[in-house]
Amino acid sequence: MTFHLGYGTNGFSNHRLDDALDVIAGLGYTSVALTLDHHHLDPFADDLPARVAHVAARLDRLGLRCVVETGARFLLDPRRKHHPTLVDEAHDVRVDFLLRAVRVAAELNADCVSFWSGIKPAEVPREEAWRRMRSGVAAVLEGATPLGVTLGLEPEPGMFVQHLTQALRLREELGSPELLGITLDVGHCVAVEPDDAATCVRRAGGLLVNVQLDDMRPGVHEHLEFGEGELDLRGTLAALAAVGYAGVAAVELPRHSHAAPDVAGRAFDALRAAMPDEPARPRHPWLADAQRAVRRDPVQIGRLFPAAGRRVGRTAARPDDDPRGLVHGTLDDSARAELLGALATVLDDDALSAELLALYRHGDDAEKRGVLRGLALVGNRAVDAGLEIVRDALRTNDVRLVAAALGPFAAEHLDQHGWRHGVLKCLFTGVPLAAVAGLERRTDDELRRMVADYTAERTAAGRDVPADAARLLGRGM
Amino acid sequence: MRIFDPHVHMTSRTTDDYEAMHAAGVRALVEPAFWLGQPRTSVGSFTDYFDALIGWERFRAAQFGIRHHCTIALNPKEANDPRCTPVLDVLPRYLEKDGVVAVGEIGFDSMTPEEDEAFARQLQLAIEHDLPALVHTPHRDKAAGTRRTLDLVKESGLPFERVAVDHLNETTVRAVADSGAWMGFSIYPDTKMDEERMVAILKEYGTTRVLVNSAADWGRSDPLKTHKTGLAMLAAGFTESDVDDVLWRNPVEFYGQSGRLVLDDLPGFSAAPETFSGNSVLRGGGDR
Repeated sequence: MTFHLGYGTNGFSNHRLDDALDVIAGLGYTSVALTLDHHHLDPFADDLPARVAHVAARLDRLGLRCVVETGARFLLDPRRKHHPTLVDEAHDVRVDFLLRAVRVAAELNADCVSFWSGIKPAEVPREEAWRRMRSGVAAVLEGATPLGVTLGLEPEPGMFVQHLTQALRLREELGSPELLGITLDVGHCVAVEPDDAATCVRRAGGLLVNVQLDDMRPGVHEHLEFGEGELDLRGTLAALAAVGYAGVAAVELPRHSHAAPDVAGRAFDALRAAMPDEPARPRHPWLADAQRAVRRDPVQIGRLFPAAGRRVGRTAARPDDDPRGLVHGTLDDSARAELLGALATVLDDDALSAELLALYRHGDDAEKRGVLRGLALVGNRAVDAGLEIVRDALRTNDVRLVAAALGPFAAEHLDQHGWRHGVLKCLFTGVPLAAVAGLERRTDDELRRMVADYTAERTAAGRDVPADAARLLGRGM
Repeated sequence: MRIFDPHVHMTSRTTDDYEAMHAAGVRALVEPAFWLGQPRTSVGSFTDYFDALIGWERFRAAQFGIRHHCTIALNPKEANDPRCTPVLDVLPRYLEKDGVVAVGEIGFDSMTPEEDEAFARQLQLAIEHDLPALVHTPHRDKAAGTRRTLDLVKESGLPFERVAVDHLNETTVRAVADSGAWMGFSIYPDTKMDEERMVAILKEYGTTRVLVNSAADWGRSDPLKTHKTGLAMLAAGFTESDVDDVLWRNPVEFYGQSGRLVLDDLPGFSAAPETFSGNSVLRGGGDR
């Protein structure tokens, strides 16, 4: 498992913290998102150091990794939820609290302290709110730096910083400090982001320091159990694995405390069922190192991309039912795709497009295939470049390139005419149609006409009709 | 008889040749980058050619159950054309590719100062990319060209055991044998070497560090000359193991120094050919 599934203690607010940790660990979670609150490790308690030491020992014993969350509702102000925030008049109170959280996180050896901006009061101009955010975050960073504690800024629906783009911009304006990362709630992506959660994961990529898992419906900020909203859980978890995320991914259901143990159990089952298929996505130790190297210095991809086959092997991913790797690709295909996933976390869209084109242009057959398969992962950020690459591959007669070109990216973006000709080329060259993503969805009358003509031509010449052609026609009749 | 042809220009050959080679026992080969007959006039035609060597031709060979590798270089003839020499700057990118198992063909054509420079520079590339080098010896003034070749290799610091000096004959083999470099022989229908003379050299020098190739290209040549040399060796009393040394183990050892040989069976093709009375008989066949 590449990241640590966990549960947020704010979903256990009717439990003592010790009991909550026991239940969470007992269900099989290996991490916890610990919300500091008056009843859960109160950061204002007189005996805070002793309490922190107690919790640290307990986490150690249970083998739980942790992040510190700071979204308690009535911790600072018993009358006004979440007040004061970083964008309020009294933002220094929030800064002071966050600094306390930083010290607690240091003692707990937590991955990070997660925080949000707060709702901008109507009377505060946007410029002033932005200035307060900048100075507040800078002040917390100053306190976190000597302790080496990472901060995770969470875009929160309805708050001043509510989109990933804003959080990334703030980080950039602060000079891209190493200790300032992103907390991403994947449900929020469904609710308010223009992109889906998997895309947001890839955009945040190497900056992710904390992930919250929950379902949501578009436009509605309500934390739901998995399956109740529109989150593509499997695709989101696969994206986390693909970008090499290795931190805490904890379920965030703060309004389900009344039935916490049952809800947490159901969530765990749903997560386990949706986790990336480990045997199909082997993570070679070389690959993990290579992904890190690419994130540190994207130029390294030029050296690492050609070497992938030598390092992770070249055999088909599922040799028994797909010996040539036409449908499921090869070990080096998936390694190269994941290298592109890492690359996408550190390059902007233009740079990513340029690099994809260069890797394809200068790649050998296997590298070209790797780029084509990688488009399923990163192509949405480089659609024009991706289409140029797919069209080039479909002009070749190398069946492995043709097969790799017709993956999920082409299913999503390739024009219908080009896509139909790609499918026909598969039939001509013996590529199984199982290699074509979205076949059922995109098959239309014109494709059926083309395939019917093709089978007529085969029959007239006294040749066999490929079973795939017959199947495709059968479906439409 | 399993055969690794260490030097054959498949780009110029037909699928009939691939079929016949597979039937004769060829399971792996190296295609060195060389001159195309028609002079090139730009770097772009080099890179298209290199791309074919690391992509299309590899795929084509795989269709016939043959593992294709290549060597990449600016050939000596075109090292004299200033429109071509800038290709030296793009070589490093290709020399990192899978299946690129040496720098080559480098060496001399007319022994000009330009050839000197390209040769020396590419020997350095071999060192930088941790690859062996395949060196072509000239058709004209071969003995002098071979001596000068060995001098340049010595100067370069590339160890002789990582260098194959190719297209040798009776007049040039001694110097190369003494240097410690690998000895390459191209067996041709009517120029270079033939099977019988090759057998005589093997009798005199033994099989160690000897590479036998067809060097088949767009000219009059025969991609089955490796197989025919193997038959001639057997007829002359060499053992099957001797033949395997020359036609398989030696090229595997030489190019294996690159760490980039891929020799496992291609999916859908039988393993090593069955042999019967010294003739290879392909069983099963591919799934083409």
